[in-house]
Amino acid sequence: MAGRIVVLGEHRDGRLKKISWEAMGLGRKLAAELGKDLCLALVGSDIEGLAREVSRRSGLEVVVLANDRCRHYTPEAYCEVLAEYARTDDPYLLLLGHTYQTMDFAPTLATMLDRGLIPNCVDYRSTDGQLLWVRQVFNGKLNLEVSAKGDPPYLVSLQQGAFPASEEDLKVPPRVEQRQVGVAEGVLRRKLLEVMEAVQTKVDLSQAEIIVAGGRGLGSQEKFQLILDLASALGAGVGASRPVTDGGWLPKEHQIGSSGQTVTPRLYIACGISGAIQHLVGMSNSGCIVAINKDPYAPIFQVADYGIVGDVFQVVPKLIEIAREMRP
Amino acid sequence: MRILTCLKQVPERDSRYKLNQDGSRVLEEDLVFETNESDLFALEEALRLKEKLGGEVAALSLGSDRVSKVLRNALAMGADRAIHLKGPEFERGDAWGTAHAIAAAVAAEDFDLVLTGVQSEDMAFAQTGAVVAQILGWPCATIVMEIALEADTCRVQVKRELESNVFERVELPLPAVLTIQSGSHPIRYATLRGIMQAKRKEYRVLTVEDLGLSAETVGEVAAKVRHHRLLAPERKKQTVMIDGGAEEAARTLMDKLVNEVGVL
Repeated sequence: MAGRIVVLGEHRDGRLKKISWEAMGLGRKLAAELGKDLCLALVGSDIEGLAREVSRRSGLEVVVLANDRCRHYTPEAYCEVLAEYARTDDPYLLLLGHTYQTMDFAPTLATMLDRGLIPNCVDYRSTDGQLLWVRQVFNGKLNLEVSAKGDPPYLVSLQQGAFPASEEDLKVPPRVEQRQVGVAEGVLRRKLLEVMEAVQTKVDLSQAEIIVAGGRGLGSQEKFQLILDLASALGAGVGASRPVTDGGWLPKEHQIGSSGQTVTPRLYIACGISGAIQHLVGMSNSGCIVAINKDPYAPIFQVADYGIVGDVFQVVPKLIEIAREMRP
Repeated sequence: MRILTCLKQVPERDSRYKLNQDGSRVLEEDLVFETNESDLFALEEALRLKEKLGGEVAALSLGSDRVSKVLRNALAMGADRAIHLKGPEFERGDAWGTAHAIAAAVAAEDFDLVLTGVQSEDMAFAQTGAVVAQILGWPCATIVMEIALEADTCRVQVKRELESNVFERVELPLPAVLTIQSGSHPIRYATLRGIMQAKRKEYRVLTVEDLGLSAETVGEVAAKVRHHRLLAPERKKQTVMIDGGAEEAARTLMDKLVNEVGVL
């Protein structure tokens, strides 16, 4: 059936990622608004069980694009399979999660199809049958509305957590279309050698009631001591944004965000953190968020309950003083 | 080893943005520009590979006169030569328009590796490197944390970051495009000596005609994505901003956390 909306699902270890359920939620909404059919496509090998389970829960038809060369993800095999699928099925819209895997293959897929990819969308508007996608630009300080030029298929990836997941369990008889697809040996130049898991993290911030987190604004490892002192005065866990762990000021396991931990403490105090989207997805569901930053336009203030525009080196020492008075 | 690093010029992180009348773009007059940090991580990797294996590192950027600051800085950090794709045709492209210009410049030379950052801080498309690879017909690996490369080899091994503490090691034949993740190695500063030496290094300016391209194949005209308007992000919460000096603000905040929110 031509002109469908197709969610490209991402799975690992037999489980569909949460972002794919979010994409299905948005897909359902768009399908209703635009009068289109919706289905989920999965690429892999031996994934019929997963396909049936997802179809049973979601009520969607699931198209399995099966090839043994897609047992483990490689961009070239995925692109080959998906480009062929897009050419034969002529979908209207391909919806993906904006994950590291999507970032790896989707630009190539779009180029193979002579299309653009609208990445990392946080919202959409439909006006006169045209979809306008909202993206965060300029380090999250502005949103930009964009649309795709030309004809379908359109390719769009969604920011994790931006759209509610489609979570109902419909318990309907599964509809799975299994397709054996070809991947020529010659296209596979990038070889997967091994997949490694980082050693189990020793710092588990997911249970912390209070987290004090520091960012780039602290400037150096020596100055980051201020964050450790405030955390100690408040009996809090210590978190960090990516530049801190990149710079080696703190071990990687303290990183909060899309490539670190996701936390929901009762109180999150962000010091010198501008609030890149990759950080916000890891902490924006915290109970109460305090942001201290010298830049009044820093996106961290968009999610903060309390904000202080000021120098962390002036404000944080005062907070430590007061906290120590409170808890002698 | 001949390596090209692509660098983008972006507004400084702490910039305050003003929009033009119809909200379609930011006014550049008051902005200060710097090199996209992610691309500096790519340049750092390129310079380390050259120190280990020999060869050369070229730096490429595209845009108006102001991007020469990016290229001068790259030369001062240790790049051997600069390639400036210059002209209004190159401006405001999406990944597609920009990648076509870069691919044309690469096709005219004989590089083993093209390195870019993972994404730009302004437009955040996170695609240009992969699209360059596809246009050239080269293999590509994105979000690379480590590069293992020996002299006189035709393959490169890299460690890539996947999500949630998972990594993979992959191998690609050369020539290839790699996009470099932040934090792989600390970015070096330009030394005074480097700045002096940079003045004597090759700085090549290429136009659309020099690349044998027509203006419709690059920049905003060629873009597959149309920009409409820029908007201030919606606030997710009603933020209570606490004013006053550091001491007063700290006291007010702690008082609110104890008495109003009850979290302390």
